[in-house]
Amino acid sequence: MPSAVEIEGFCYTYPDGTVALSDVSLKISPGERVALIGPNGAGKSTLLLAMNGFLKGSGRVVIDGKQVAGRNKKAIRSVIGCVLQNPDEQLFMPTLFDDVAFGPLNMGIVGRQLTSRVENVLRKVGLAGMSHKAPHHLSAGQKRAAAIATVLAMSPAIIAMDEPDSHLDPRSRRGLVELLAGLEQTLVIASCNMNFAAELCSRAVVMDQGSITADGKAREIMVNSELMLKHGLEVPSSFKV
Amino acid sequence: MHHAYIDKFAYQDSPVHRLDSRVKLVAVIVFTALVISVPRHSLSILVCYAVGPFAMLVIGGIPIRFTLKHIVIVSPFVLVLAASSVLYGKAPVAVEFGPFTVHTTTGWLQFFNILAKFVVTMLALIALVSTTRFAELLRGLEKLRVPKLLVVQLGFLYRYIFVLIDSVHHILRARAGRKLRYLGAKAELKTAGSMVGSLLIRSINTAERISMAMQARGFDGTFRTHSKMRITLKDYLFCAAACSFLLLIYLIIRPALI
Repeated sequence: MPSAVEIEGFCYTYPDGTVALSDVSLKISPGERVALIGPNGAGKSTLLLAMNGFLKGSGRVVIDGKQVAGRNKKAIRSVIGCVLQNPDEQLFMPTLFDDVAFGPLNMGIVGRQLTSRVENVLRKVGLAGMSHKAPHHLSAGQKRAAAIATVLAMSPAIIAMDEPDSHLDPRSRRGLVELLAGLEQTLVIASCNMNFAAELCSRAVVMDQGSITADGKAREIMVNSELMLKHGLEVPSSFKV
Repeated sequence: MHHAYIDKFAYQDSPVHRLDSRVKLVAVIVFTALVISVPRHSLSILVCYAVGPFAMLVIGGIPIRFTLKHIVIVSPFVLVLAASSVLYGKAPVAVEFGPFTVHTTTGWLQFFNILAKFVVTMLALIALVSTTRFAELLRGLEKLRVPKLLVVQLGFLYRYIFVLIDSVHHILRARAGRKLRYLGAKAELKTAGSMVGSLLIRSINTAERISMAMQARGFDGTFRTHSKMRITLKDYLFCAAACSFLLLIYLIIRPALI
C-alpha cells in the first residue's frame, strides 16, 4: 500500500529569495492524523501548498503513489483536498449548494448523484437544509464547516487543512473537533493551537524556519517543554501536569 | 459586520418570490424599455406605469421605506443629469393638471420626466432584486444565455464586495485609532494612498488564494454549474398579467394621454 503522502528533499524558495522550505522529507501513512506545528512563518502553509501541487520546487512530492507534476495535477487534487485558512476564500460561489457542488461538477458528477452527494455532505457537517444560503449569511463556525464540506464532497483520501480553528469561538471549535474526529480520511492539519492539534492528531511534526525539526507521537513531542519552547510553541494545557 | 444587502428581503416567501427569476427578469427588461420610450415631455403616463412594480412590491411584502431609501441613495447621479436639461430647454410650455394650468419650460418638464422615469424603473429593479435571491438571478441570467463569464463575474462581485467593504472598515478603524490630529493635506493624502495600496495588495492576494481554492477543486478554466429551473403555471399567469398590463398602457392609456 503506497504512503498517503511522501515528500523527499523538497526545497522551495519564494521569488523574493526567502527560503520557505529546505530539504523537507516526510512520509504519512493512509488514515494517519498528522499535526504540522510550528511558529508563524515556519513553512507549514507552504508545505500544504506543495502537497497540492501549487508550488514548483526541487525534490519529490508523491501523493497516493502519484508524483505531483503538471500533467497529473487534476488527478492529485481529486485525492487530496485542501482547506484554506480563510473560509471566505474557500467559499466563492453564490450559494452553499453551488460551492459544495463545484468540486464534484469538475469531477464530472451531475444530476441526482450530484444533488444527493451535496446533501449528504452538508448533513455530515451539520449544515443540512442550508444549501440555499449565501456564504456571507453563515456564521464563522458554519463557514468553517462549509469549507470542509466543499472538500469532503470530492471524497478525497487526504485532507490538508491550514489553521482550521483560527477565529473560532470555543463552541465552534468544539464542533469542528467533533466533525474532524469523525472523518476517516488522512488528515494533515497545520496549526499553531497546540490544544486543538493534540486533541485531533496522534502524530506531530514540528517545523521551524522551513525545516522539519522533530517528528513523532504527538504526546511525546508536545510534553517536551524544552523542544516546544525552543520552537516558539507551548505545551498544551491538556498535557500539563 | 452587518451589511445592507440589496437582496435582504429576497429570502422572504410570497407569490412574487416564488416566481421563476427568468420571467421576472424579462418582464423588468421589457418594462424598463417601455418606460424609457415614453416621450420626454410626458409625465402622467409614468404614474400608470408605476402601478406594476408597486403591486409587485406590495405583494412581495417589501417595505416602502426600504424602497424609497434605495431610490434616494442612487438619486444624486440622476439629479445631476436631469438638472442639466433645465439649462437647455428654455421654450415655454403650459401644462394642464385638470382645471389648473401651470406655465413652465420644456427643460423643467424634461427634468421631472427623467426623475419620474428613474423612480419608476428603480421601483421595478428593486421589486426584482428584493423578491429574487441573487443566486437565482444569476441562474436566470445564465439560462437566458447571458455570457457565462459575465454571470460568474457578477457572482464574484456580489460575493466579495462585502469582504472588501469589511477590509476597508478595518483599515479605517485602525487609522482612526492612531490618528489623533489632522496631519495636513499632504500627509493625509499620503496615508490615504497607502491605505488604498494596502487594500489593492490584499485584494490581489485574496484573488490568488481564491484561484488556488478553485484549482484545488478541479477547476480547469470551464465553469460548470448545476441548475434546475422550471416554468410553472404561476409563471405563465404572471406573464399573462404582465403582458396585459403593459399592452393596456401601451395600446389604450398611452395614446390617450400623450
